[in-house]
Amino acid sequence: MIATIRSEWIKLRSVRSNVTTTIVAVVIPLAITLLSVTFMRTSGIGENTLSDFVLGTGSIAVLLIGVIGVLCITQEYSQGTIRLTLAATPKRTRVYLAKLVVMALVGALVTGFIILASTTVGSIILESRDVSGPHTGPDSGAAFVAMILMGSLVALLGMAIGTLTRNPPSAITTLVLWPLLVEGIVGALLSLAFEDNVTRWMPFQTGLNSMFAELPEGGFGRWGSLGYFAAWVLLVTVLAERGMKRRDA
Amino acid sequence: MITVDGLTKRYGSTVAVDNLSFSVEPGVVTGFLGPNGSGKSTTMRCMIGLDRMQAGRALFDGKPYSSLRNPLHEVGALLDAGNAHSGRTARNHLRWMAASNGLPAKRVDEVLDIVGLQQVAKKRVGQFSLGMKQRLGIASVLLGDPRVVILDEPANGLDPEGIRWIREMLKHLASQGRAVLVSSHLLSEMALIADELVVIGKGRLIEQCTVDQFISRHARKWVVVRSPQLGTLVDVARAKGMQVATNETTAEFHGVESEIIGELAAANGVVLHELSTQTGSLEDAFLEVTATSVEYHGQSEAAK
Repeated sequence: MIATIRSEWIKLRSVRSNVTTTIVAVVIPLAITLLSVTFMRTSGIGENTLSDFVLGTGSIAVLLIGVIGVLCITQEYSQGTIRLTLAATPKRTRVYLAKLVVMALVGALVTGFIILASTTVGSIILESRDVSGPHTGPDSGAAFVAMILMGSLVALLGMAIGTLTRNPPSAITTLVLWPLLVEGIVGALLSLAFEDNVTRWMPFQTGLNSMFAELPEGGFGRWGSLGYFAAWVLLVTVLAERGMKRRDA
Repeated sequence: MITVDGLTKRYGSTVAVDNLSFSVEPGVVTGFLGPNGSGKSTTMRCMIGLDRMQAGRALFDGKPYSSLRNPLHEVGALLDAGNAHSGRTARNHLRWMAASNGLPAKRVDEVLDIVGLQQVAKKRVGQFSLGMKQRLGIASVLLGDPRVVILDEPANGLDPEGIRWIREMLKHLASQGRAVLVSSHLLSEMALIADELVVIGKGRLIEQCTVDQFISRHARKWVVVRSPQLGTLVDVARAKGMQVATNETTAEFHGVESEIIGELAAANGVVLHELSTQTGSLEDAFLEVTATSVEYHGQSEAAK
């Protein structure tokens, strides 16, 4: 298993597009946060401002991490290396688990790095603008943990969708349209039919909500929301892994 | 050695490989021969567990591929040299494969050296020519120093120099005692590389024999005669029940040895200006055999 994980790690970092996507996933949210705290009026900066920027741009980071998850498996199918992978490791569950471990780590490390870099550098910028601390709100610690877990979960979701479609464009489209379009439309339609707060049943929205410092009303709470999203990721993952085992490579 | 026993693979209602059995011995190159679409690649994919076979089994020294713990140490397979990420360097391509089977990075440099790619080890595979990709593929086959080597159409699209390199490499690998299975749709190519032949058509085994046996059994032979008294000789031969085809200056005698015709001419006082044995090309022999299998297949389909 360790050998398979090592192999998957070499695969991931030896392709430039994977590295580029990872850098973009770090740089975009980091840049938005740092530019904002550099240029916004000091009168508008409160103790939640910096952490709100980090968590708000977190959803961009998380989606881009999902794209890395998609790429890590679809590029194997599009480039034909999946045949070499499965010839080198005939136990397909082991291959899937090794990729899963690598992607979960990458998701957590990327979000963790974004949080660390933006809060550290952001604080320095704010200090230099004579805004005194604390720069992160009291509930931000738990929200940061949720963001790190979301990084891992969305990476795994991207990987699972990629395994099912085997095709980069359709997997990335599914991953991006799901939260942005499908859940929005379905949630809006269901809201017309039911009095109840139905948007909390939308997996992606609920998962992303767990990253807010102040949670929206009527949800499952932070860890409940995260768990609900994780259950969906697990479902898609099981389907993907079983499909990979059954289908011809 | 490899033992394939009753391998059957269907895609929906299409039978790609039909109850195929053959064996591949160590120390020789076994040619896996069949026309395009006859099921060679499907068979190879099933053998190494990439495609699921519906029936039968393929064993490597008695074990199915899926039970091998570190398969690269036992079986080196190259199904398509294009199966490499174009954005990865040659060295990294081999490194992830090596790592998956617990092989050190040192071994990667060794195999790059063997196939002569050490100069371009840090170049991306996307910049490689077909011949270089083929060499990289062979390097990946050699990584685990396997006892069994399987290659699908390794000579396809290569220039003459590349083909000769592959040929010599395969003979070298077999001479080291490895079992080598190499597919091709060209019998002429196989005749140069292989000792043994496994011939298939429409997913079925036609025969397994040595290359020489296959040629002597199937290549057409006939005797060409030029003579001022051609008519006399042809009449005598036909009276003896021989098959003769004539044109203005020569006659072709089928199904007989040149000695018989020579003696027949002498006995009848016929002067010969030419007496020679002609052999049909290997390609003709191969096409003839596989055409029969196609026809047989058609009849069996119609009978259902």
